[in-house]
Amino acid sequence: MAGATRPQTVAERAADAEASAGRILLVAAGALFWGWLVVSWVNRWLGGPLVPVGDPLVSPAAVEAALGAVPVLAAVAADAAFVIELTPVLAQGTWLTVVITGVSLVCGFVIAVPLAVARVYGRFSAWLSLGYTELLRGTPLLAQLFVLYYGLNLASYVPGALSGVFARDVVWVAILGFTLNGAAYQAEYIRGAVESVDEGQITAGRAIGLSKVESIYHVVLPQALRYAIPSWTNEFVYLIKYSSLAGFITVPELYYRADQVATDTFRYTAIFLVLGVMYLALVLTASKVMERVDASVAIPGLGADRDR
Amino acid sequence: MSDADAFLRVTDVSKWYGDEQVLEDVSFEMDRGDVTVLIGPSGSGKSTMLRCVNRLAEAQEGSITLDGEEVLSPDTDVDELRREVGMVFQSFNLFAHLTATGNVALGPRRVLGLSEDGARDRAAAQLERVGLGDQLDSYPAELSGGQQQRVGIARALAMEPKLMLFDEPTSALDPELIGEVLEVMRGLVDEGMTMLVVTHEMSFARAVADEIVFLDDGRVVERGPPEQLFERPEKERTGRFLERIASHD
Repeated sequence: MAGATRPQTVAERAADAEASAGRILLVAAGALFWGWLVVSWVNRWLGGPLVPVGDPLVSPAAVEAALGAVPVLAAVAADAAFVIELTPVLAQGTWLTVVITGVSLVCGFVIAVPLAVARVYGRFSAWLSLGYTELLRGTPLLAQLFVLYYGLNLASYVPGALSGVFARDVVWVAILGFTLNGAAYQAEYIRGAVESVDEGQITAGRAIGLSKVESIYHVVLPQALRYAIPSWTNEFVYLIKYSSLAGFITVPELYYRADQVATDTFRYTAIFLVLGVMYLALVLTASKVMERVDASVAIPGLGADRDR
Repeated sequence: MSDADAFLRVTDVSKWYGDEQVLEDVSFEMDRGDVTVLIGPSGSGKSTMLRCVNRLAEAQEGSITLDGEEVLSPDTDVDELRREVGMVFQSFNLFAHLTATGNVALGPRRVLGLSEDGARDRAAAQLERVGLGDQLDSYPAELSGGQQQRVGIARALAMEPKLMLFDEPTSALDPELIGEVLEVMRGLVDEGMTMLVVTHEMSFARAVADEIVFLDDGRVVERGPPEQLFERPEKERTGRFLERIASHD
């Protein structure tokens, strides 16, 4: 705060301008990406009021013609048109990727918090938690998904209330797999944060008459979950990318869709390049959102020390 | 002072950590409204003794009765006990994620079951009492050490305890901040609060204590009113300790 009144040097002003230009560019790209996704999804849900379901939001032919008219861009006009043609399929796949990641992350969190608490404060339950975590982290995620889908054939046991929510029930198997696996990783991040909370905090809680569980709930967790955000964001980011493994148990998410198109058209480079950009956009969004969340729940007076 | 129904009576309390005995047959008692100060070199077992009273540490042998009730009995509800015994820590241990008000209100809200508003009002009143009426919404990290410790005292007071335990409340403070905390504690003495205090502040002990208990190596070496202990210690060890402390003052 004290530095705010100091006049800026020319170099600082230039750096500031550059930073804000970068930020504007990032925000614009994000708005374009999410705007396209949301409009595509809504158009599909409402049965195609804007463009017929399955059609891109803008006509590929028009894009090709427009780009073709500009000498420098003419070379990529055909590729651009091809990508535009893909967009409805990509939007559909992204929807599943976002839903699978989001639901698995939230369900995994609900399991991870008790796992982490048990690990730190439990006796017998600490061993159970450790066993669970090591088993799930120590075996390949793809193998876990195969066991759930091919081995246990869980797709045919999806309960009635959940069955039919998605076009295919196998989506629930993927969510279950990512939930169970992600919970183990999330528990590790949260455990580290729980351990970092000073022991005196729980002692003080007990000293005013809170039980151990109440002290953990009212005193330890509100601090630990804040401290866990930066490292927990790793799991969020990983899960977005790992969710592509759902494609291997036939869930038509983003990777699966792109792979299908690539197999049909043989245009692997273009398609996987676009696919990479899509995942990058999702990951950047996740990490930016979590940065915001971290800042908004920071404890006054503590945040600055923690960053150092 | 040794009447049969003392308010707090500690009798032959012993405690071991593993094979190491940290308390050996410690006995003392205090009446309602008394201020007893435990002094002694570090590692003498003062803090452990204090923590045995609200069962943050478990004594293996002996008896501690508070208001006629056996504290060490397995049937004692420790949460209930701690509701009635306030504790102030050397390292403050304020809840880092809560404001001063939040810190003080948590006990009344969650333990005593007061309403949200009732707990806040009580917290505000207690913070006012320790001179922090202008810091209600400050977080611990935004307060000085002396202010944090006063919040710690307000937090304990908000439970309306019948006994207050102070575990070296000024040891972690810069010298210029000790005064404000001692002043609040003096105020409590004047109000008639029953206080068991572990401290190295000898002038404070001398001024407010009804009895000083000198512990060394887990044993009570000597106890008595401050004038006697400070002026005419019976044991040579007591004299040596007080001299060493005085040379640091």
